[in-house]
Amino acid sequence: MRKESIVLLLIMLYTAAAAQRDVFGTVRGNDSVALYGAVVALKENIGVVSSTAIDGSYKLHIPDNKAYTIEIIYYGYKKKNYNLQENESGIIDFVMEKDIYNLEQVVITGTRTPKLLKDVPIVTKVISHDDIILQNATDIRDILQSELPGIEFTYSMNQQVSLNMSGFGGNSVLFLIDGERLAGETLDNVDYSRLSMDNIDRVEIVKGAASSLYGSNAVGGVVNLITREPKERWKLNLNAHYGSHNNQRYGGSVGFNLGGVSNLLNVQYTSCNPIELKNDGAYNTIYGYHSLNIKDQLTYSFKNRFKITAKAGYFFRERKSQENSHDRYRDFSGNLKGDYHIGAKDDITLSYNFDQYDKSHFALTERTDVRSYSNVQNSLRTVYNHTFRKKHILTVGGDYLRDYLMTYQFENNGAHHQHTADLFSQFDWNPNKKVNMIAGLRYDYYSDANLHSVSPKLSTMYKLKDFAFRASFSSGFRAPTLKEMYMSFDMANIFMIYGNPNLQAEKSHNFGLSAEYNHKQYNVTVMGFYNRVKGRITTAWNTELNGMLYVNMAPLQIAGVDVSASAIWDFGLCAKLSYVYTYEHIALGEPLLSSTRPHTATLRLSYGRKWKNYHFNVALSGRWLSKVTCDEYTSLNDYTSTEKVTYPGYTIWKLIFTQKIYKGLNISLVVDNLFNYIPEYYYSNSPATTGTTFSVGVSLDLEQFFKK
Amino acid sequence: MTNRHLFLFFILVGLLSSACNGIFAWIYNPVPEKPAYGFIETDEASHRGTIFLDAHDYAKWTYVNLRRQMIDTANILMGEPDPDDWDFAIHRYDVKTNNGAALETHFTTLEDFSEGGLSFSGSFTYDTLSRIAIDMSGMMDGNVLYADSYLNPLLCNWLDVNTSQMPPIYTLSGKVYVLQLANGQYAALKFTNYMNAASTKGYVTIQYVFPINYAK
Repeated sequence: MRKESIVLLLIMLYTAAAAQRDVFGTVRGNDSVALYGAVVALKENIGVVSSTAIDGSYKLHIPDNKAYTIEIIYYGYKKKNYNLQENESGIIDFVMEKDIYNLEQVVITGTRTPKLLKDVPIVTKVISHDDIILQNATDIRDILQSELPGIEFTYSMNQQVSLNMSGFGGNSVLFLIDGERLAGETLDNVDYSRLSMDNIDRVEIVKGAASSLYGSNAVGGVVNLITREPKERWKLNLNAHYGSHNNQRYGGSVGFNLGGVSNLLNVQYTSCNPIELKNDGAYNTIYGYHSLNIKDQLTYSFKNRFKITAKAGYFFRERKSQENSHDRYRDFSGNLKGDYHIGAKDDITLSYNFDQYDKSHFALTERTDVRSYSNVQNSLRTVYNHTFRKKHILTVGGDYLRDYLMTYQFENNGAHHQHTADLFSQFDWNPNKKVNMIAGLRYDYYSDANLHSVSPKLSTMYKLKDFAFRASFSSGFRAPTLKEMYMSFDMANIFMIYGNPNLQAEKSHNFGLSAEYNHKQYNVTVMGFYNRVKGRITTAWNTELNGMLYVNMAPLQIAGVDVSASAIWDFGLCAKLSYVYTYEHIALGEPLLSSTRPHTATLRLSYGRKWKNYHFNVALSGRWLSKVTCDEYTSLNDYTSTEKVTYPGYTIWKLIFTQKIYKGLNISLVVDNLFNYIPEYYYSNSPATTGTTFSVGVSLDLEQFFKK
Repeated sequence: MTNRHLFLFFILVGLLSSACNGIFAWIYNPVPEKPAYGFIETDEASHRGTIFLDAHDYAKWTYVNLRRQMIDTANILMGEPDPDDWDFAIHRYDVKTNNGAALETHFTTLEDFSEGGLSFSGSFTYDTLSRIAIDMSGMMDGNVLYADSYLNPLLCNWLDVNTSQMPPIYTLSGKVYVLQLANGQYAALKFTNYMNAASTKGYVTIQYVFPINYAK
């Protein structure tokens, strides 16, 4: 009996050993470069996984002889699947195809759940970290204007920055950082200068209404800045940039990633002298400024199931607007977020966000700093996802926001606050690999306006070989802000501006159709959009009050076409051309006061090569904006009538030469406004340029020097 | 839920509640609730002082009597006349004298002017007939109301308001002016600000030395 048992055990061990097998080989890119750190895993058995060594080699030890799918994942390359046959073993080499259009990039903005860019039924534009580096961008304005047509940042009163994105202003485009709203505004625009690019991994842009997921303000689109987490065990970057008009930028980041715990601290300082413009205009001096931006992000994750992220930020900007008085802007922010993967099918996120944006006047003689504005937002958020049959996702969530505003524009520098709450739900249906459909619904409540809003959405996508077709209907709304409801502001003792507690919410319906073609190195996307905006909030003269009053304006229609084509060749050449046509229409007899340029285009040509210890890239980018004719009040004669005013178009070119020398030393040379464009008259929507400018930058990634 | 968790929960709620209306309010200077106007600082020994005036109303002249350290006002729209006894007056950033005259020195501080022996030379400028805006409420209709008034063109130079861009650029001359009163006495004036502590424009701060014991 004992002998029989031993024999049986030996047979079992032999059988088990015979069933085991090894699969090994290398993972390389299609340019033959060995890929270090690629993940090679069995799709059906999560316990069998390997990552490639520095020479691209891997080895999988498979415990049985069954058929499996081997999945190879490497950032920047298209995911690859290999069908491993029964009993198959030995050498298997993989060649990965570069994901030159980031289609394997995970995006979150369009659906509020992580999803591959190629699978999102809502057209999402992604500006990658490489694009940010290539454009040498300081803040969000630089990168949006360089990369996307249809976006224009102009000056409004007192040189405050205003956005126009295909007919939608700053208060109709929602800016988010990792999905969180920003406090504070000036003339309906958030402070774009606080959105520095030094800790940004990518920027996701969704054009069109998205209130079914994000609520108020997502009328014309959403711009979501996704922050970076350090991937390296440690990193230390120091950078400096110097340019014309004594334009300076100094920054640094220090971080570590110890597996479960990571931290990234970013510090950036910028300054610029006042700029005397060369011709007459609405303004003749651009104010000088300096700013400081500090951000820290600490992450703790436990067994890939539980993750806590804590963030803190401080922003300061001082604008030299008057000889003896400077404008100061500060922001204090904090965020605590927990992500919990309950199982393979469920995950939940809970977050708390604090954001306070202050404005103050600093009197140089008296050395006093008196606050005149403070917007404080406290918000709580939860999102729950449940996956059905490994492919359909149900998302349910809710937000609570307390919005507090103290401003010099309220009577006696007073304050108001209101509570907002919402519930939303979305179902992401994927019946097969070709079809995707998303339906969503959101309910919002605003306490002071006593506003109830319901925002639906329906999006669908159909893939056919190299084509992807998308169609969507979505609605947007913008609740009247505390400022718009309660303002009582004496405008330089000339006239009053009054808030209106009876304002209705702006409502919009957005229809979008798009076709995308991807084949090898070519990508073409054509998108058509139509928006019907009802009750846009604006100010108009009120004879009874003898002042300006916030009112809802007549319905407005905005339609257009967005076309982009790009090609990336293996020998290092890249070309990208984008064009947007925007058409606005308002009821006959009503003034069309917005100054949206009907035609805008961007072009980028770049050429780069990489050797072991030297990389270079030359990028030429251009922006063309057509002239625009709009209505303006003829205030000197009669405020009830308007006249047509035409603003000239212009083209600006920028040349950027970047070099990477021996691992971690990066040098950039920038020639902006290459062809020396100078406006004959500086309108508020003219580029505030005095001609060609030059700048040079140095960036040092110290951790790279210690890599083998 | 254990006591420790309850404690942490209440700490968190407390932190959130305190943050509802913002944090770090202490880094700012408080807004002066009711600023004092008139002769806010006087030093009899050095004959120096500071005057702070609310001149933001287009319809109002604010009169300064240096000899009696008194302030008076008159509403132009209501047809109120000048008071009986005054030395100079402010309307927004306009300045007029009561049959006086003014001279601009090269000094930029009253201290330098004093150390320079309170001496000055040059010719005085007298008031001339001009016009001032007294009602801007109809500006949106193109109906700004003006009124004729004597102004001292030299003293009006204390602040340059460049309206070629909006908002205008305000530039102080920074100079010390000598004001000759109707009775022959002299005062040194230095206009130091055109805003109040909340940076609202139309509030004027003037440092002065009066009288100047000057003998040619």
